[in-house]
Amino acid sequence: MIRLEGLTKRFKQVTAVDNVSLMVAPGEIYGFLGPNGAGKTTTIKMLAGIMRPTSGSIFIDGLDLLKHPIDVKARIGFIPDRPFLYEKLTGSEFMSFMANLYGFNGVGREKRIQQFLELFELAEWAKELVSSYSHGMKQRLIMSAALLHAPRVFIVDEPLVGLDPKGARLIKRIFTRLKRSGLTVFMSTHTLEVAEELCDRIGIIQKGELLAEGTVTELKELAGQEEPRLESIFLHLTGAETESTEDIGFIN
Amino acid sequence: MNVLTLLGPRWWGFRNDLVFGGRRSLIKAGSLLAVAVGFWVGIYVIFYRVLRYFQAVEEFGDLLAYKLLTMVYLTFFGLLIFSNVLVALNTFFLSQDLEIIHATPVSIGEIFAARFLDTLVESSWMVLLFGIPIFTAYGLVYQASVVYYLGLVSVMIPYLILAAAVGITLTMILVQVFPAQRTRDILFLLSLLVIILLFFLFRFSRPERLVDPDAFASVITYFRALSAPASPYLPSSWASEAIWPLLKPSPISSGFYQGFLWVNGLASLVVCALVAIWVYPEGWSKSQESGRLLAGRFLGLVPKQLRPRKPRRSQTLTLMGKDLKFFFRDNTQWSQLLLILALIVLYLYNYSVLPLDSVKVPTFYLQNLIAFLNVGLAGFVLASIGVRFVFTAVSGEGFSFWIMQSAPVSMRRLLWSKFLLYLAPLLLLGLILTIATNELLQVSALMRWLAPITIFSMVFGITALGVGMGAVFPNFKAENITQVATGFGGLLYMILAMGFIALVVILEAGPVYILFTAQARHHSLGFFQWLYVSGSILLLVLVNIAAVWLPMRYGIRKLAAYEG
Repeated sequence: MIRLEGLTKRFKQVTAVDNVSLMVAPGEIYGFLGPNGAGKTTTIKMLAGIMRPTSGSIFIDGLDLLKHPIDVKARIGFIPDRPFLYEKLTGSEFMSFMANLYGFNGVGREKRIQQFLELFELAEWAKELVSSYSHGMKQRLIMSAALLHAPRVFIVDEPLVGLDPKGARLIKRIFTRLKRSGLTVFMSTHTLEVAEELCDRIGIIQKGELLAEGTVTELKELAGQEEPRLESIFLHLTGAETESTEDIGFIN
Repeated sequence: MNVLTLLGPRWWGFRNDLVFGGRRSLIKAGSLLAVAVGFWVGIYVIFYRVLRYFQAVEEFGDLLAYKLLTMVYLTFFGLLIFSNVLVALNTFFLSQDLEIIHATPVSIGEIFAARFLDTLVESSWMVLLFGIPIFTAYGLVYQASVVYYLGLVSVMIPYLILAAAVGITLTMILVQVFPAQRTRDILFLLSLLVIILLFFLFRFSRPERLVDPDAFASVITYFRALSAPASPYLPSSWASEAIWPLLKPSPISSGFYQGFLWVNGLASLVVCALVAIWVYPEGWSKSQESGRLLAGRFLGLVPKQLRPRKPRRSQTLTLMGKDLKFFFRDNTQWSQLLLILALIVLYLYNYSVLPLDSVKVPTFYLQNLIAFLNVGLAGFVLASIGVRFVFTAVSGEGFSFWIMQSAPVSMRRLLWSKFLLYLAPLLLLGLILTIATNELLQVSALMRWLAPITIFSMVFGITALGVGMGAVFPNFKAENITQVATGFGGLLYMILAMGFIALVVILEAGPVYILFTAQARHHSLGFFQWLYVSGSILLLVLVNIAAVWLPMRYGIRKLAAYEG
């Protein structure tokens, strides 16, 4: 469903993403992990068609994103890490607006909009301006809008940032449900428990390079770790293990 | 010490803008400086000439200069109060850093002191800057000594403190009654209306009569009636009384009024501080609670036909509908329609009072010449409106531009939807300006058609240039959309739009002259004249097409490659 071939992005002297190749099968949830500044958001932006790669190719549902951007984007639901929205629209107007942009004009559209607003507990706020929404509400509104047109691929940058535990649980439930219906999810996250719980496979990126890829079990074997938790595997693979507390002793 | 620390970020921000801004920032600063110097010189020349003219008027000259000085101080005081209220709403209640500042262990008194200084500087620098050429003109015309300039400094300091204290106290009280956000909107609208009203009053008083000797007798009568002293309760009168004696060849002491200003300035500062310590914590807390706004209240401002309740099927209409909603829901946007309306009225009024009969050139010839030049002037007005609304249309997407980038919408469709949205109102405005002016001037049949047709075709180019250039120089991170219009891209748009308008007018001038002369002399055109006219028309068509096609094509390409 998603295929990246030699994906590279350079910003002047800095190579943010360096020759990344990977595949995500239909119905798979792929977690993209990495420390801050590793190249996760740049990769996601290229996948969403917001940024053009310096070299390499992106295929989604068999279509080349660079050659058929409009057709590919119509198949994607994208959620950025920061929920910047049109503050002067109401929640329901934003949903209608997005439905129109994605050409989702079928029968039952209004009903579907209402269903999503209710699912994400926004129905009560549907007639309020987005400017009055909290961070978590904006995040939920983006998520409902991204799912509205029934995308085949869901690309999410940090899905749980700013959500309360109830919202986070809802997102997890939705992802599991979407996976069952064959939707492919590509998500970056810092929340390792979520990655461990939801993702079928995980890719770890550092300094723009894909360090390792596989299921949690495969990664554990690769890292040669006894500890079953993803956190220690991640820290080991990215070389960020801190055993000693001497270097933070000055705090007190 | 805390006060200085609190003022630190502003200074660092200013310094970092210069240090990290790079060449673009320097070019921007340089352009702004050039514009400021232009204004500065303009104001100085106007005041110098007016004061010299007044000096030449026996008996009343000094009275006129004194009245002008009190008017200047009164205008400054009004502007300062308004500006202080608007700035104080931001610095004391709406600024994003306040949350952090109020969470720190700094006393309310220290926060007040830092924010007072902040407000004072931000509200006063422009008035001070534009006051300098005026006061310099006074000093040079009256050949004032150094005592005048020192006195000026001594007067301006308490004057600015007084205005800031009054403005900030007013804000503290207003926020107790209204939510901070709403107060800003109301004041913005009020200030806009006041500016329009002042503009109308000034224009309709026909100041050009001052230089008309025939009308001068009645003006003297008018000023005689004004020779009564100004209100003694106004700080502007104290300032004028403190400055005026220092302009005389042997400066008379103005100590009383200077002292009066200092005492009142400092007293108002104390009152302001007391009011702030008393009500500011509660006001700040209140401003945190009033974030919610009901969309329904704003929806009332949108005409029913423009409220897209039913699902729209076309992407272009969806995008246009969204932009329309934004426009009518943003008070800072739609309220500028009032300014445009005032501009149209004044524009047409100026044509209605043109003294054509008093000029020794055949009226018929002059009327048509002015109507022809009016095409260029109307184009300039449209370009000025274009830089504020059309050029900023793409940047108006702001931080939400990611939605357009990730949606299955081509940049071609996005830009053409913006083009179509702004084309209609600009066409309407262009036609009003030319057709109404033609009526007022009673022009010939040829000009009656030519001017509207020319402006009609030019509007396409002016709009496309705005949308296209806006896409070439987008600024999705601007906090205020007016910053986008005054940036480098905006300046370039104005230069290109003016070049385009000038080219059209120049290309049209030759054929119009030939046709007009032939019509006036009842001649028919010769073969070469026809050839010249046809060639010029063809060239005009090509220029107009290029003005639409090139910027739109370039803009689409640049925006599609945007990765910010």
